[in-house]
Amino acid sequence: MKFVDEFRDPELGRALAGEILSLVEPGRRYKVMEVCGGHTHSIYKYGVDDLLPANVELVHGPGCPVCVIPMGRVDDGIAIAREQDVIFTCFGDMMRVPGSNGSLLDAKAAGADIRMVYSPLDALRIAKQNPDREVVFFAIGFETTAPSTALTLKRARAEAVTNFSCMCSHVTIVPPLRALLESPDLRLDGFIGPGHVSTVVGARPFEFIPADYGKPVVIAGFEPLDILQAISMILRQLDEGRCEVENQYRRVVPYEGNLRALEVLQEVFELRPHFEWRGLGFISHSGLKLSDAFADLDAERRFSVPGVRVADPKACQCGEVLKGVIKPWECKVFGTACTPERPIGTCMVSSEGACAAYYNFGRFAREREVV
Amino acid sequence: MTVVRVDVERGLALCRAEDGSKATVETALIESVMPGDCLLVHAGTAIARIEAVLVP
Repeated sequence: MKFVDEFRDPELGRALAGEILSLVEPGRRYKVMEVCGGHTHSIYKYGVDDLLPANVELVHGPGCPVCVIPMGRVDDGIAIAREQDVIFTCFGDMMRVPGSNGSLLDAKAAGADIRMVYSPLDALRIAKQNPDREVVFFAIGFETTAPSTALTLKRARAEAVTNFSCMCSHVTIVPPLRALLESPDLRLDGFIGPGHVSTVVGARPFEFIPADYGKPVVIAGFEPLDILQAISMILRQLDEGRCEVENQYRRVVPYEGNLRALEVLQEVFELRPHFEWRGLGFISHSGLKLSDAFADLDAERRFSVPGVRVADPKACQCGEVLKGVIKPWECKVFGTACTPERPIGTCMVSSEGACAAYYNFGRFAREREVV
Repeated sequence: MTVVRVDVERGLALCRAEDGSKATVETALIESVMPGDCLLVHAGTAIARIEAVLVP
């Protein structure tokens, strides 16, 4: 497959691993955070970390869109789904995220009409096929997914589909990164920047990381060679005393982003003053809501939602995992009470969640010798 | 995904995935989509055209 096979070449992978080894300073420990859940998944699927020297540690960031949704938002979704004549639609992963009293999948089993969709466009199609029902789309995801929701809302408006609305839980990536960088719990040497978010927002929004915090950022693709090359580029910056945003994923990411997408986002959404993130708490200007021009398509205005904050289960340490403070296997319930089949925390639900990645690819624990 | 057919008027394209499955994709965010183009598709919307660059 074009643009895939050439980025999985084992010979080139070994060469990059050698280059990485030549760049590390013996005795120094390096902590590199991959921001995006897609990177976490690829790292463990392809065993990328097994090719790294033991003193290069990959820390998993808050970029899994399902993982950061707090329990209260799931409860809000279930409340709408239980309304009479509602068809509630969402992505498959979201159906299994536990709320305070079960998941959307549990609500579906109890009789609510909840349907899995692959895109908001599918939800709009369901609305057109069911004009006597109210169809609600539970929109989640970062700037990668938000343009799709925005275009669908514009299409609903253009096609006068009045029985369609959106429960918007889209989030933006920069505020949680700033929150992490301000956190005293975590010492990082650099970031693997989120490739697909950058496709939309470009590289410029990440310039504050080298400018204000002195850490290199390399925006990277999702194939194993992409990730290895990004790590090599970060280590080279550190070795040469440089600190900047570099773009490894040039085949997809223009430095200025997708201007059409940014324009659509600007038109359809506005920033919420605060949004709650699972494990990270409330972060200012980090969530999106529908702009006043699209308020009539806002499910939270069309239906009543509890809007209650719910604390995470005490046993679950998703918050620490999302902040990169602990590894998934260090959580008390990892792989015992919490598994992909019966998740307690969100990080075990999505394939992009760090816990699910460790569990599914058999990386329960590891001891590594420092070079 | 690879573009198979383009519906310029509706801003949609029929695309084929790696596994051979086909899907209708929203193309409003990409300029001049043509059959044979490789698109990065997220939640049913093309967000970038994948361009050839040198392999690392």
